[in-house]
Amino acid sequence: MIISKKKDHEELLSLIGNYNSFFLIGCSECASLCGTGNDEAIAELTEKLKAAGKTVVSATIPKTGCQTLGTKTELKKFKEFTDKADAIIVMSCGAGTQSAVEIFPDKPVFPANNTLFLGNMTRFQVFDERCSLCGECIIGLTGGICPVTNCPKGLLNGPCGGMSDGNCEVSPDIKCAWVRIYERQKKIGNLEQMKEIIPAKNWSANQRPANLSLKEKKDKTNEVKK
Amino acid sequence: MTFAEKIRSNKFVVTAEVGPPKGTNIKDVLHHIELLKGKVDALNVTDNQSAVMRICSLAGSKLIVDAGAEPILQMTCRDRNRIGLQSDLLGAAILGIKNVLCMTGDHVSAGDHKNAKPVYDVESVQLLQIVDSLNKGRDMSGNELQGATDFFQGAVVTPEANPLEPQLMKFEKKVKAGANFFQTQAIYDMAKFKEFMKFARKYPVKILAGFVVLKSAGMANFLNNFVPGIKVPQELIDELKAAPKGTALETGMNITARHIRELMDEKICDGVHIMAIGMEDKVPLILQKAGL
Repeated sequence: MIISKKKDHEELLSLIGNYNSFFLIGCSECASLCGTGNDEAIAELTEKLKAAGKTVVSATIPKTGCQTLGTKTELKKFKEFTDKADAIIVMSCGAGTQSAVEIFPDKPVFPANNTLFLGNMTRFQVFDERCSLCGECIIGLTGGICPVTNCPKGLLNGPCGGMSDGNCEVSPDIKCAWVRIYERQKKIGNLEQMKEIIPAKNWSANQRPANLSLKEKKDKTNEVKK
Repeated sequence: MTFAEKIRSNKFVVTAEVGPPKGTNIKDVLHHIELLKGKVDALNVTDNQSAVMRICSLAGSKLIVDAGAEPILQMTCRDRNRIGLQSDLLGAAILGIKNVLCMTGDHVSAGDHKNAKPVYDVESVQLLQIVDSLNKGRDMSGNELQGATDFFQGAVVTPEANPLEPQLMKFEKKVKAGANFFQTQAIYDMAKFKEFMKFARKYPVKILAGFVVLKSAGMANFLNNFVPGIKVPQELIDELKAAPKGTALETGMNITARHIRELMDEKICDGVHIMAIGMEDKVPLILQKAGL
């Protein structure tokens, strides 16, 4: 899921500046599990905005904020409120926030959160990054553990000289990703694989902005001719 | 004879290093080059060591070429992507730089620009492959070069890494990627180093044992506690503690000289690399004590 964290309230207040009335949009998916876009988060932000002399006209929690079409449909029911609001504050990730930007082309939209990473929830409300969406997965070569993400240097061919007693030099409280890969490969009888040089990554697979369409592309050449 | 020719002819080689300054005043580094150039076979030039921004290792290496000595250009992957690295390597070749040491590089969080974006587009093993390819007249994308490089490329290894096996596997990859020589992290335990050499001798590469002179027992404890891959045995710490007041540095230099002598006499490795870290002026004395 996408991990988000509430922005510092002072920063949010400076972003919203002189606007006075707001419609708040949460998200029932990731942002709810992160506590940044659920009912409690909306109630808390509503209180804080009131304390700052602002008005919250209404709020809602769409099912999946980043599903732009669905969110647009859900928000239609709130038209009278969204029309009244000076601006929209979105309490989800950056993707959900930009759905709102698309849905409200004439209104200012502000993010209430910072979007941090694609995370695994390892315990309740504890999130760790395991995958950094690099576009070309290599964990089939590294015992299922991603060195691009788990090593601060993203090294592909073994530990650096900074590895100390099995731990990472950059974050000494975590185990070196390559020691983890080594131990796992050994355990599953796959140590030979660790001897193969992994070539430099193809970063073009990570080019931004990424997009994907599962629809077959229509061949428009004939249509044009007609 | 060049550094590569010397090491290939089985001469026991000596390398030391100089660190370019932060700023344009190069008086000290020129002094160190003059001091060391006749005494060592090649001089490493560190590449923004510890991720602290300084004069680039390429310019530092050119100063050594101009002084009539041979540099080993240290290149890390922290600050440049594959285009920058290859471009600088071609530049190094036309400036008369013959040796390159391929390293991953300390993370920016260790240095003085902690908010910098670390690059690591490629890493040490892949950089060795790049150098090998440039030597064969092709860039990393397979494009033909107008004139190939002729680098003698080396790498680093930590013989006392814990756990050791992943480090040894990386050593094998570096050999496969084209490393001709290795300079090791500082070593203090001769018995352990000899064990490492039994492993390393299986590969067709030259090994230079790394040395950092101990200035005091306090420094030894600091290295043990804070520098990864360095283990100073207790008996050496005791030896430093037992030194009469004001003679700890002398004792440290004697220890280094004794270790160098031992490796040379027993033909354990192919040379030594002395990392003076601010004590460049003491290197000639250490070599003299070691009988080099």
